[in-house]
Amino acid sequence: MNNNPEENENQEDKPNASSIVEKIQQLGQSNIPQAPDSNIHVLSIIGQVEGHIQLPPQNKTTKYEHLLPQLIAIEQNPKIEGLIILLNTVGGDVEAGLALAEMIASISKPTVSIVLGGGHSIGVPIAVATDYSFIVPTATMTIHPVRLTGLVIGVPQTFEYLDKMQERVIQFVVQHSNIKEEKFKDLMFAKGNLTRDIGTNVVGKDAVEYGLIDQVGGVKDAMSKLTAFIGTNNGAEGGVIQ
Amino acid sequence: MILYTPLAQHDIFPVEQGGFSNVEHIAYDGRMIYAIKTKDGSYQIQQLVSTDPQDYLRKEFSPGSILS
Repeated sequence: MNNNPEENENQEDKPNASSIVEKIQQLGQSNIPQAPDSNIHVLSIIGQVEGHIQLPPQNKTTKYEHLLPQLIAIEQNPKIEGLIILLNTVGGDVEAGLALAEMIASISKPTVSIVLGGGHSIGVPIAVATDYSFIVPTATMTIHPVRLTGLVIGVPQTFEYLDKMQERVIQFVVQHSNIKEEKFKDLMFAKGNLTRDIGTNVVGKDAVEYGLIDQVGGVKDAMSKLTAFIGTNNGAEGGVIQ
Repeated sequence: MILYTPLAQHDIFPVEQGGFSNVEHIAYDGRMIYAIKTKDGSYQIQQLVSTDPQDYLRKEFSPGSILS
């Protein structure tokens, strides 16, 4: 400890000085050159899809109360011409996931999704909700039955409720992708693919083979597909306006 | 609430909690931001929630930068 008192004082001054500098920076707002507005917006579905109960904070979550208004804003803003959905999710709340999927499916503007890393469970309906879906070769999608843990009051009723909930997920996926209902159910209830569990882990190319996802590809493919969609949209509009 | 995920229950709901409790979501310049409230009352950006890809290129929204 050879620090002299002066140095200690300096150290104490530092936080103060830096906070003053910060305040000056905040008040003296400089104009930042703005990039031109992007006509393509990006929505990332990350971590857990959060439902009505706020998950503990160590979970990275996608909150529907943030995303649903953004989707409305995208629909409403005439400057936005297309939407890319980036997925790296482990699934989550069924109803929040279906809500997001239905919102994406009912947007009038062209939408494209890319599954990166993982698009598991409730990520599957979100991925297929777009006009065209991509999956990178290394991404996976786990398809498994909807489950419930914890205390169950009224077993037959709960079973029926769960079964209907699962049916909603299956119907949505079948309606918005090229996979057959039989095939999707086969994958969902397959044994031996996930150790000690029922379901299938579908990797990039297989997802396309099953008809779940439209194409294997990344950013380049997704962007060119979206610009092509936007082009045909604009072309159609241009034809009407005289 | 029914969670449809391959994760185990205890991964999502750990026994002991706390730690990240100072993270708040706030609106700044019309954008939704997750920020950590620092000791001096200012906010440090942790995550930006926006659909505009250009927002992510803006310096003031980069993770770690401090708001007033």
